[in-house]
Amino acid sequence: MSTLAELSDAIAAVVKTAEESVVRVEARRRLPATGLVWSEDGIIVTANHVVQKDDNIKVGLADGTTVPATLVGRDPSTDLAILKIDQTGLKPFVEVDKTSLGVGNLVLALGRPGKTVQATMGILSAYGGSWRTHTGGQIDHYLQTDLVMYPGFSGGPLVNAEGQLVGFNSSSLMRGVSLAVPTSTIARIADSLMTHGHVKKGYLGVSTQQVRLPETAQEDLKQKRGLLVVSVETGSAADKGGLTLGDTIVGVEGATVQNHDDLLAQLRGDRIGKKVSLKILRGGKSKKVSVKVGERSS
Amino acid sequence: MTILTTLNDELTAVVAQVQQSLVQLTHGRRGIGAGTIWHEDGLILTNAHVVQRRTPKATLWDGREYETTLLASDESLDIAALSIEASDLPIIPLGDSEALRPGQWVTSVGHPWGVKGAASFGNVIEMGTPLEWNGSNREMIQVGIQLRPGHSGGPMVDEYGRLVGINTLITGPQVGLAVPIHVVTKFLAETLNYTPIQHL
Repeated sequence: MSTLAELSDAIAAVVKTAEESVVRVEARRRLPATGLVWSEDGIIVTANHVVQKDDNIKVGLADGTTVPATLVGRDPSTDLAILKIDQTGLKPFVEVDKTSLGVGNLVLALGRPGKTVQATMGILSAYGGSWRTHTGGQIDHYLQTDLVMYPGFSGGPLVNAEGQLVGFNSSSLMRGVSLAVPTSTIARIADSLMTHGHVKKGYLGVSTQQVRLPETAQEDLKQKRGLLVVSVETGSAADKGGLTLGDTIVGVEGATVQNHDDLLAQLRGDRIGKKVSLKILRGGKSKKVSVKVGERSS
Repeated sequence: MTILTTLNDELTAVVAQVQQSLVQLTHGRRGIGAGTIWHEDGLILTNAHVVQRRTPKATLWDGREYETTLLASDESLDIAALSIEASDLPIIPLGDSEALRPGQWVTSVGHPWGVKGAASFGNVIEMGTPLEWNGSNREMIQVGIQLRPGHSGGPMVDEYGRLVGINTLITGPQVGLAVPIHVVTKFLAETLNYTPIQHL
Protein backbone atom coordinates (compact mmCIF):
# COMPACT_ATOMS: atom_id res chain seq x y z
CA MET A 1 0.00 0.00 0.00
CA SER A 2 1.28 3.47 -0.80
CA THR A 3 2.15 5.80 2.06
CA LEU A 4 -0.59 8.14 0.96
CA ALA A 5 -3.21 5.40 1.08
CA GLU A 6 -1.93 4.33 4.50
CA LEU A 7 -2.18 7.91 5.71
CA SER A 8 -5.65 8.27 4.29
CA ASP A 9 -6.81 5.09 6.05
CA ALA A 10 -5.24 6.20 9.31
CA ILE A 11 -7.18 9.48 9.21
CA ALA A 12 -10.42 7.67 8.41
CA ALA A 13 -9.73 5.30 11.33
CA VAL A 14 -9.40 8.22 13.75
CA VAL A 15 -12.77 9.57 12.60
CA LYS A 16 -14.34 6.15 12.96
CA THR A 17 -13.20 5.68 16.58
CA ALA A 18 -14.29 9.19 17.57
CA GLU A 19 -17.54 9.26 15.60
CA GLU A 20 -19.63 7.58 18.29
CA SER A 21 -18.92 10.42 20.73
CA VAL A 22 -20.01 13.17 18.34
CA VAL A 23 -23.66 14.24 18.55
CA ARG A 24 -25.98 16.63 16.78
CA VAL A 25 -27.42 19.50 18.82
CA GLU A 26 -30.77 20.84 17.66
CA ALA A 27 -31.26 24.01 19.66
CA ARG A 28 -31.50 26.79 17.13
CA ARG A 29 -33.69 27.69 14.20
CA ARG A 30 -31.82 26.87 11.05
CA LEU A 31 -28.78 24.65 10.97
CA PRO A 32 -28.22 22.23 13.86
CA ALA A 33 -24.75 22.23 15.41
CA THR A 34 -22.48 19.70 17.09
CA GLY A 35 -21.88 18.47 20.63
CA LEU A 36 -19.56 15.97 22.24
CA VAL A 37 -20.21 13.21 24.75
CA TRP A 38 -18.61 14.26 28.05
CA SER A 39 -19.75 11.46 30.31
CA GLU A 40 -21.05 7.93 30.00
CA ASP A 41 -24.29 8.95 31.76
CA GLY A 42 -25.48 11.60 29.33
CA ILE A 43 -23.62 14.88 29.83
CA ILE A 44 -23.15 16.62 26.48
CA VAL A 45 -20.81 19.58 25.93
CA THR A 46 -21.60 22.07 23.18
CA ALA A 47 -21.10 25.74 22.29
CA ASN A 48 -23.32 28.24 24.07
CA HIS A 49 -23.96 30.30 20.95
CA VAL A 50 -25.60 27.38 19.14
CA VAL A 51 -28.07 26.81 22.00
CA GLN A 52 -30.55 29.56 21.25
CA LYS A 53 -33.43 28.16 23.25
CA ASP A 54 -33.78 26.77 26.76
CA ASP A 55 -36.50 24.18 26.12
CA ASN A 56 -37.34 21.64 23.49
CA ILE A 57 -33.68 20.87 22.76
CA LYS A 58 -32.90 17.66 20.89
CA VAL A 59 -29.72 15.64 20.57
CA GLY A 60 -29.02 13.31 17.64
CA LEU A 61 -26.89 10.29 18.48
CA ALA A 62 -24.48 8.34 16.30
CA ASP A 63 -26.92 5.40 16.04
CA GLY A 64 -29.42 7.65 14.26
CA THR A 65 -31.83 8.17 17.15
CA THR A 66 -32.87 11.61 18.34
CA VAL A 67 -33.51 12.14 22.05
CA PRO A 68 -34.75 15.12 24.11
CA ALA A 69 -32.17 17.04 26.14
CA THR A 70 -32.33 19.47 29.05
CA LEU A 71 -30.10 22.50 29.46
CA VAL A 72 -27.98 22.10 32.60
CA GLY A 73 -26.33 25.48 32.33
CA ARG A 74 -24.47 27.88 30.09
CA ASP A 75 -21.48 30.16 30.34
CA PRO A 76 -21.48 32.77 27.56
CA SER A 77 -18.02 34.02 28.60
CA THR A 78 -16.34 30.78 27.50
CA ASP A 79 -19.07 29.92 24.95
CA LEU A 80 -19.83 26.65 26.74
CA ALA A 81 -23.19 24.99 27.35
CA ILE A 82 -23.93 21.71 29.11
CA LEU A 83 -26.84 19.51 28.10
CA LYS A 84 -28.13 16.33 29.73
CA ILE A 85 -29.77 13.45 27.94
CA ASP A 86 -31.44 10.48 29.58
CA GLN A 87 -29.00 7.81 28.39
CA THR A 88 -26.30 5.61 29.84
CA GLY A 89 -23.55 3.58 28.24
CA LEU A 90 -22.42 6.46 26.04
CA LYS A 91 -18.82 6.61 24.95
CA PRO A 92 -17.04 9.74 26.24
CA PHE A 93 -13.80 11.02 24.74
CA VAL A 94 -10.40 10.18 26.13
CA GLU A 95 -8.64 13.35 27.19
CA VAL A 96 -5.42 14.32 25.45
CA ASP A 97 -2.19 14.48 27.44
CA LYS A 98 -1.59 18.23 27.41
CA THR A 99 2.18 17.88 27.50
CA SER A 100 2.05 16.17 24.11
CA LEU A 101 0.57 19.22 22.38
CA GLY A 102 2.75 21.46 20.24
CA VAL A 103 2.53 23.76 17.23
CA GLY A 104 2.41 21.62 14.10
CA ASN A 105 0.40 18.78 15.65
CA LEU A 106 -2.19 17.26 13.37
CA VAL A 107 -5.75 17.88 14.51
CA LEU A 108 -9.20 17.01 13.24
CA ALA A 109 -12.45 18.86 13.80
CA LEU A 110 -15.52 16.66 13.82
CA GLY A 111 -19.07 17.80 13.28
CA ARG A 112 -22.53 16.30 13.04
CA PRO A 113 -24.88 19.04 11.87
CA GLY A 114 -26.64 16.40 9.76
CA LYS A 115 -27.15 12.68 10.25
CA THR A 116 -23.59 11.61 9.52
CA VAL A 117 -20.30 12.68 11.01
CA GLN A 118 -18.20 15.23 9.11
CA ALA A 119 -14.49 15.85 9.44
CA THR A 120 -11.84 18.34 8.48
CA MET A 121 -8.11 18.19 9.11
CA GLY A 122 -5.46 20.75 9.89
CA ILE A 123 -2.67 21.52 12.32
CA LEU A 124 -2.40 23.25 15.64
CA SER A 125 -1.24 26.69 14.50
CA ALA A 126 -0.53 28.26 17.84
CA TYR A 127 -0.49 26.96 21.40
CA GLY A 128 -0.12 29.40 24.24
CA GLY A 129 -0.93 30.26 27.81
CA SER A 130 -4.18 31.38 29.36
CA TRP A 131 -6.19 34.22 27.84
CA ARG A 132 -9.42 36.05 28.46
CA THR A 133 -12.29 36.30 25.97
CA HIS A 134 -13.85 39.70 25.25
CA THR A 135 -16.73 38.73 27.52
CA GLY A 136 -14.37 38.02 30.42
CA GLY A 137 -14.11 34.22 30.23
CA GLN A 138 -10.87 32.66 31.42
CA ILE A 139 -9.52 30.07 28.93
CA ASP A 140 -6.59 27.94 30.12
CA HIS A 141 -4.75 27.67 26.81
CA TYR A 142 -4.72 29.55 23.55
CA LEU A 143 -5.50 26.91 20.92
CA GLN A 144 -5.53 28.15 17.35
CA THR A 145 -5.84 25.85 14.37
CA ASP A 146 -5.71 26.34 10.61
CA LEU A 147 -8.97 24.40 10.24
CA VAL A 148 -11.80 25.62 8.09
CA MET A 149 -14.81 25.70 10.40
CA TYR A 150 -17.75 24.57 8.31
CA PRO A 151 -21.28 25.65 9.29
CA GLY A 152 -22.56 23.54 12.18
CA PHE A 153 -19.11 22.52 13.46
CA SER A 154 -19.29 24.78 16.53
CA GLY A 155 -19.54 22.83 19.78
CA GLY A 156 -17.88 19.82 18.21
CA PRO A 157 -14.67 18.13 19.26
CA LEU A 158 -11.13 18.97 18.21
CA VAL A 159 -9.16 15.72 18.37
CA ASN A 160 -5.50 14.81 17.89
CA ALA A 161 -4.02 12.10 15.65
CA GLU A 162 -5.02 9.46 18.22
CA GLY A 163 -8.63 10.63 18.37
CA GLN A 164 -8.16 12.06 21.87
CA LEU A 165 -10.05 15.18 22.90
CA VAL A 166 -8.05 18.43 22.68
CA GLY A 167 -11.01 20.77 23.14
CA PHE A 168 -14.22 21.97 21.56
CA ASN A 169 -14.39 24.22 18.52
CA SER A 170 -16.10 27.57 18.60
CA SER A 171 -16.40 30.02 15.76
CA SER A 172 -17.74 32.77 18.00
CA LEU A 173 -14.77 33.40 20.32
CA MET A 174 -12.85 35.44 17.78
CA ARG A 175 -13.48 36.46 14.21
CA GLY A 176 -11.25 35.33 11.39
CA VAL A 177 -9.39 32.59 13.27
CA SER A 178 -10.41 29.09 14.34
CA LEU A 179 -10.08 28.71 18.08
CA ALA A 180 -10.81 25.85 20.45
CA VAL A 181 -11.53 25.77 24.17
CA PRO A 182 -9.17 23.25 25.84
CA THR A 183 -10.40 20.20 27.73
CA SER A 184 -9.16 21.52 31.10
CA THR A 185 -11.36 24.61 30.71
CA ILE A 186 -14.35 22.47 29.72
CA ALA A 187 -13.82 20.39 32.87
CA ARG A 188 -13.62 23.44 35.12
CA ILE A 189 -16.66 25.22 33.65
CA ALA A 190 -18.69 22.02 33.35
CA ASP A 191 -18.09 21.28 37.04
CA SER A 192 -19.34 24.70 38.02
CA LEU A 193 -22.35 24.50 35.69
CA MET A 194 -23.34 21.07 36.99
CA THR A 195 -23.02 22.15 40.65
CA HIS A 196 -24.43 25.68 40.50
CA GLY A 197 -26.13 25.94 37.12
CA HIS A 198 -23.89 28.88 36.30
CA VAL A 199 -20.27 29.93 36.65
CA LYS A 200 -19.69 31.78 39.90
CA LYS A 201 -17.97 35.12 39.54
CA GLY A 202 -16.98 37.60 42.20
CA TYR A 203 -18.58 41.06 42.30
CA LEU A 204 -17.55 44.35 43.84
CA GLY A 205 -20.32 46.70 42.72
CA VAL A 206 -18.21 49.44 41.15
CA SER A 207 -17.98 50.99 37.72
CA THR A 208 -14.45 51.90 36.80
CA GLN A 209 -12.55 53.68 34.12
CA GLN A 210 -8.92 53.13 33.21
CA VAL A 211 -6.78 56.19 33.98
CA ARG A 212 -3.14 57.18 33.79
CA LEU A 213 -1.71 57.65 37.29
CA PRO A 214 -0.03 60.90 38.39
CA GLU A 215 3.72 60.77 37.77
CA THR A 216 4.75 60.56 41.42
CA ALA A 217 2.33 57.67 41.94
CA GLN A 218 3.68 55.97 38.80
CA GLU A 219 7.16 56.05 40.33
CA ASP A 220 6.07 54.91 43.79
CA LEU A 221 3.88 52.06 42.58
CA LYS A 222 5.94 51.15 39.51
CA GLN A 223 2.82 50.97 37.37
CA LYS A 224 1.41 53.40 34.84
CA ARG A 225 -2.32 52.90 35.07
CA GLY A 226 -5.13 52.15 37.48
CA LEU A 227 -8.91 51.98 37.59
CA LEU A 228 -10.78 55.10 38.68
CA VAL A 229 -14.00 54.33 40.56
CA VAL A 230 -16.76 56.30 38.83
CA SER A 231 -19.72 54.82 40.69
CA VAL A 232 -20.37 52.62 43.70
CA GLU A 233 -23.55 50.57 43.97
CA THR A 234 -25.34 51.23 47.28
CA GLY A 235 -25.17 48.27 49.63
CA SER A 236 -22.65 46.42 47.44
CA ALA A 237 -19.43 44.79 48.58
CA ALA A 238 -17.46 47.87 47.56
CA ASP A 239 -19.87 50.19 49.41
CA LYS A 240 -19.64 48.15 52.63
CA GLY A 241 -15.87 48.04 52.33
CA GLY A 242 -15.71 51.82 52.20
CA LEU A 243 -14.72 52.41 48.55
CA THR A 244 -15.83 55.83 47.39
CA LEU A 245 -16.14 57.77 44.19
CA GLY A 246 -12.76 59.04 43.04
CA ASP A 247 -10.69 56.21 44.51
CA THR A 248 -8.31 54.60 42.04
CA ILE A 249 -7.88 50.83 42.36
CA VAL A 250 -4.25 49.90 41.70
CA GLY A 251 -3.99 46.39 43.17
CA VAL A 252 -5.79 43.40 44.65
CA GLU A 253 -4.08 41.04 47.12
CA GLY A 254 -0.60 42.02 46.02
CA ALA A 255 -1.33 41.76 42.27
CA THR A 256 -1.26 44.98 40.25
CA VAL A 257 -4.45 46.19 38.59
CA GLN A 258 -3.93 48.34 35.51
CA ASN A 259 -6.99 47.47 33.45
CA HIS A 260 -10.40 45.83 33.64
CA ASP A 261 -9.01 42.41 32.73
CA ASP A 262 -6.63 42.54 35.69
CA LEU A 263 -9.53 43.27 38.04
CA LEU A 264 -11.80 40.63 36.49
CA ALA A 265 -9.05 38.06 36.87
CA GLN A 266 -8.89 38.81 40.60
CA LEU A 267 -12.66 38.43 41.09
CA ARG A 268 -12.51 34.66 40.86
CA GLY A 269 -15.41 32.50 41.99
CA ASP A 270 -13.46 31.03 44.90
CA ARG A 271 -13.07 34.50 46.42
CA ILE A 272 -16.82 35.00 46.90
CA GLY A 273 -17.58 35.66 50.59
CA LYS A 274 -13.89 36.14 51.38
CA LYS A 275 -12.14 39.34 52.34
CA VAL A 276 -9.60 40.69 49.90
CA SER A 277 -7.28 43.60 50.34
CA LEU A 278 -7.63 46.34 47.70
CA LYS A 279 -4.81 48.77 47.16
CA ILE A 280 -6.18 52.18 46.20
CA LEU A 281 -5.05 55.73 45.65
CA ARG A 282 -7.11 58.25 47.60
CA GLY A 283 -6.21 61.93 47.59
CA GLY A 284 -2.86 61.06 46.01
CA LYS A 285 -1.97 58.66 48.83
CA SER A 286 -1.73 54.91 48.65
CA LYS A 287 -4.11 53.13 51.02
CA LYS A 288 -5.43 49.63 51.66
CA VAL A 289 -9.08 48.74 52.15
CA SER A 290 -10.56 45.36 52.91
CA VAL A 291 -13.60 44.26 50.92
CA LYS A 292 -15.69 41.11 51.26
CA VAL A 293 -16.26 39.95 47.65
CA GLY A 294 -19.90 39.56 46.61
CA GLU A 295 -21.34 37.29 43.95
CA ARG A 296 -22.27 38.45 40.48
CA SER A 297 -25.87 37.59 39.70
CA SER A 298 -26.14 35.78 36.39
CA MET B 1 3.28 3.87 16.06
CA THR B 2 0.78 4.68 13.32
CA ILE B 3 1.67 6.61 10.21
CA LEU B 4 -0.32 9.56 11.58
CA THR B 5 1.88 9.72 14.67
CA THR B 6 4.98 9.64 12.49
CA LEU B 7 3.60 12.38 10.27
CA ASN B 8 2.66 14.36 13.34
CA ASP B 9 6.12 14.12 14.88
CA GLU B 10 7.85 15.08 11.63
CA LEU B 11 5.55 18.05 11.08
CA THR B 12 6.09 19.37 14.62
CA ALA B 13 9.85 19.01 14.18
CA VAL B 14 9.77 20.91 10.87
CA VAL B 15 7.81 23.78 12.45
CA ALA B 16 10.13 23.99 15.47
CA GLN B 17 13.13 24.14 13.13
CA VAL B 18 11.63 26.76 10.80
CA GLN B 19 10.58 29.01 13.71
CA GLN B 20 14.30 29.52 14.49
CA SER B 21 14.68 31.46 11.24
CA LEU B 22 11.45 33.42 11.59
CA VAL B 23 11.69 37.14 12.23
CA GLN B 24 9.03 39.47 13.57
CA LEU B 25 9.00 42.92 12.01
CA THR B 26 7.52 45.73 14.04
CA HIS B 27 7.12 49.44 13.73
CA GLY B 28 6.72 51.11 17.10
CA ARG B 29 4.39 48.84 19.04
CA ARG B 30 2.67 47.62 15.91
CA GLY B 31 3.52 44.31 14.28
CA ILE B 32 3.71 44.79 10.54
CA GLY B 33 4.70 41.36 9.32
CA ALA B 34 7.21 38.56 9.29
CA GLY B 35 10.62 38.03 7.81
CA THR B 36 12.76 35.05 6.89
CA ILE B 37 16.48 34.82 7.64
CA TRP B 38 18.16 34.17 4.31
CA HIS B 39 21.82 34.41 5.26
CA GLU B 40 23.75 33.76 8.51
CA ASP B 41 25.22 37.24 8.41
CA GLY B 42 21.96 39.11 8.72
CA LEU B 43 20.19 39.12 5.37
CA ILE B 44 16.43 39.00 5.91
CA LEU B 45 13.77 38.54 3.25
CA THR B 46 10.27 39.94 3.51
CA ASN B 47 7.53 41.42 1.31
CA ALA B 48 7.88 44.85 -0.24
CA HIS B 49 4.43 45.78 1.07
CA VAL B 50 5.61 45.12 4.62
CA VAL B 51 8.41 47.69 4.43
CA GLN B 52 6.61 50.12 2.13
CA ARG B 53 6.60 53.09 4.49
CA ARG B 54 9.46 52.79 6.94
CA THR B 55 12.18 50.29 7.80
CA PRO B 56 11.02 48.16 10.69
CA LYS B 57 12.66 46.77 13.79
CA ALA B 58 13.44 43.05 13.63
CA THR B 59 12.95 40.63 16.53
CA LEU B 60 14.53 37.20 16.16
CA TRP B 61 12.92 34.01 17.50
CA ASP B 62 15.35 34.03 20.48
CA GLY B 63 14.16 37.53 21.38
CA ARG B 64 17.14 39.56 20.15
CA GLU B 65 16.13 42.89 18.62
CA TYR B 66 17.81 44.77 15.77
CA GLU B 67 17.41 47.90 13.72
CA THR B 68 17.19 47.08 10.02
CA THR B 69 18.51 48.63 6.83
CA LEU B 70 16.60 48.29 3.58
CA LEU B 71 18.94 46.87 0.94
CA ALA B 72 16.58 46.36 -1.98
CA SER B 73 12.90 46.22 -2.73
CA ASP B 74 10.75 45.34 -5.74
CA GLU B 75 7.08 46.17 -5.46
CA SER B 76 6.02 44.31 -8.60
CA LEU B 77 7.51 41.10 -7.20
CA ASP B 78 6.56 42.10 -3.62
CA ILE B 79 10.01 41.20 -2.30
CA ALA B 80 12.36 43.21 -0.11
CA ALA B 81 15.77 42.49 1.39
CA LEU B 82 16.75 43.86 4.80
CA SER B 83 19.98 43.58 6.69
CA ILE B 84 20.75 43.49 10.40
CA GLU B 85 24.09 43.67 12.21
CA ALA B 86 24.29 40.04 13.28
CA SER B 87 26.12 36.86 12.41
CA ASP B 88 25.77 33.09 12.89
CA LEU B 89 22.01 33.25 12.42
CA PRO B 90 20.02 30.05 11.82
CA ILE B 91 18.94 29.68 8.21
CA ILE B 92 16.51 27.41 6.42
CA PRO B 93 18.00 25.15 3.74
CA LEU B 94 16.77 26.11 0.30
CA GLY B 95 14.34 23.87 -1.53
CA ASP B 96 13.54 23.65 -5.22
CA SER B 97 10.47 25.79 -5.83
CA GLU B 98 10.52 25.05 -9.56
CA ALA B 99 9.93 21.39 -8.75
CA LEU B 100 6.78 22.08 -6.67
CA ARG B 101 3.74 20.26 -7.98
CA PRO B 102 0.00 20.64 -7.29
CA GLY B 103 -1.02 18.47 -4.33
CA GLN B 104 2.31 18.73 -2.54
CA TRP B 105 2.18 19.56 1.17
CA VAL B 106 3.69 22.81 2.41
CA THR B 107 3.74 24.65 5.75
CA SER B 108 3.62 28.43 6.26
CA VAL B 109 4.91 30.04 9.42
CA GLY B 110 4.36 33.63 10.48
CA HIS B 111 2.55 35.86 12.96
CA PRO B 112 -1.08 35.89 11.72
CA TRP B 113 -2.97 38.63 13.60
CA GLY B 114 0.12 38.93 15.81
CA VAL B 115 0.10 35.33 17.07
CA LYS B 116 3.82 34.54 17.23
CA GLY B 117 5.24 31.69 15.18
CA ALA B 118 1.90 30.20 14.18
CA ALA B 119 1.98 27.42 11.60
CA SER B 120 -0.50 26.48 8.87
CA PHE B 121 -0.46 23.43 6.67
CA GLY B 122 -1.93 22.89 3.22
CA ASN B 123 -1.56 21.74 -0.34
CA VAL B 124 -0.09 23.44 -3.35
CA ILE B 125 -3.06 24.22 -5.61
CA GLU B 126 -1.13 25.40 -8.62
CA MET B 127 2.09 27.05 -9.70
CA GLY B 128 1.91 30.22 -11.76
CA THR B 129 -0.29 33.28 -12.05
CA PRO B 130 -3.73 33.24 -10.45
CA LEU B 131 -6.48 33.37 -13.07
CA GLU B 132 -7.87 36.61 -11.66
CA TRP B 133 -4.64 38.41 -12.54
CA ASN B 134 -5.39 38.82 -16.23
CA GLY B 135 -2.35 39.42 -18.35
CA SER B 136 0.13 39.19 -15.49
CA ASN B 137 2.94 36.68 -15.74
CA ARG B 138 4.07 36.79 -12.12
CA GLU B 139 5.21 33.42 -10.91
CA MET B 140 3.51 32.47 -7.66
CA ILE B 141 2.83 29.44 -5.50
CA GLN B 142 -0.91 29.12 -4.92
CA VAL B 143 -1.76 27.15 -1.79
CA GLY B 144 -4.82 26.06 0.15
CA ILE B 145 -3.62 27.85 3.27
CA GLN B 146 -5.46 30.72 4.90
CA LEU B 147 -2.79 33.40 4.95
CA ARG B 148 -3.56 36.31 7.26
CA PRO B 149 -2.10 39.73 7.98
CA GLY B 150 1.17 38.97 9.81
CA HIS B 151 1.99 35.95 7.67
CA SER B 152 3.52 38.23 5.05
CA GLY B 153 7.25 37.78 4.64
CA GLY B 154 7.39 34.53 6.62
CA PRO B 155 8.76 31.25 5.29
CA MET B 156 6.88 28.57 3.39
CA VAL B 157 8.62 25.21 3.54
CA ASP B 158 8.21 21.80 1.95
CA GLU B 159 7.89 18.46 3.75
CA TYR B 160 11.62 18.38 4.51
CA GLY B 161 11.50 21.85 6.04
CA ARG B 162 13.28 23.37 3.02
CA LEU B 163 12.44 26.93 2.03
CA VAL B 164 10.28 27.06 -1.10
CA GLY B 165 8.54 30.41 -0.81
CA ILE B 166 7.93 33.68 1.00
CA ASN B 167 4.30 34.04 2.18
CA THR B 168 2.69 36.94 0.41
CA LEU B 169 -1.02 37.50 0.35
CA ILE B 170 -4.54 36.24 0.22
CA THR B 171 -6.62 36.26 -2.93
CA GLY B 172 -9.79 34.60 -1.73
CA PRO B 173 -10.93 33.33 1.63
CA GLN B 174 -8.88 30.16 1.30
CA VAL B 175 -6.22 30.69 -1.31
CA GLY B 176 -2.82 31.83 -0.16
CA LEU B 177 0.02 33.04 -2.34
CA ALA B 178 3.77 32.85 -1.92
CA VAL B 179 6.70 34.15 -3.95
CA PRO B 180 8.69 31.08 -5.06
CA ILE B 181 12.30 30.88 -3.92
CA HIS B 182 13.68 30.79 -7.47
CA VAL B 183 12.11 34.22 -8.06
CA VAL B 184 13.71 35.48 -4.83
CA THR B 185 17.10 34.13 -5.85
CA LYS B 186 16.86 35.88 -9.21
CA PHE B 187 15.84 39.11 -7.51
CA LEU B 188 18.82 38.95 -5.15
CA ALA B 189 21.21 38.20 -7.98
CA GLU B 190 19.92 41.15 -10.01
CA THR B 191 19.65 43.74 -7.27
CA LEU B 192 22.45 42.84 -4.86
CA ASN B 193 24.63 40.81 -7.16
CA TYR B 194 24.27 38.12 -4.56
CA THR B 195 24.26 34.41 -5.29
CA PRO B 196 23.30 32.11 -2.45
CA ILE B 197 25.48 29.26 -1.40
CA GLN B 198 23.50 26.05 -1.41
CA HIS B 199 23.55 24.41 2.00
CA LEU B 200 22.98 20.76 1.50
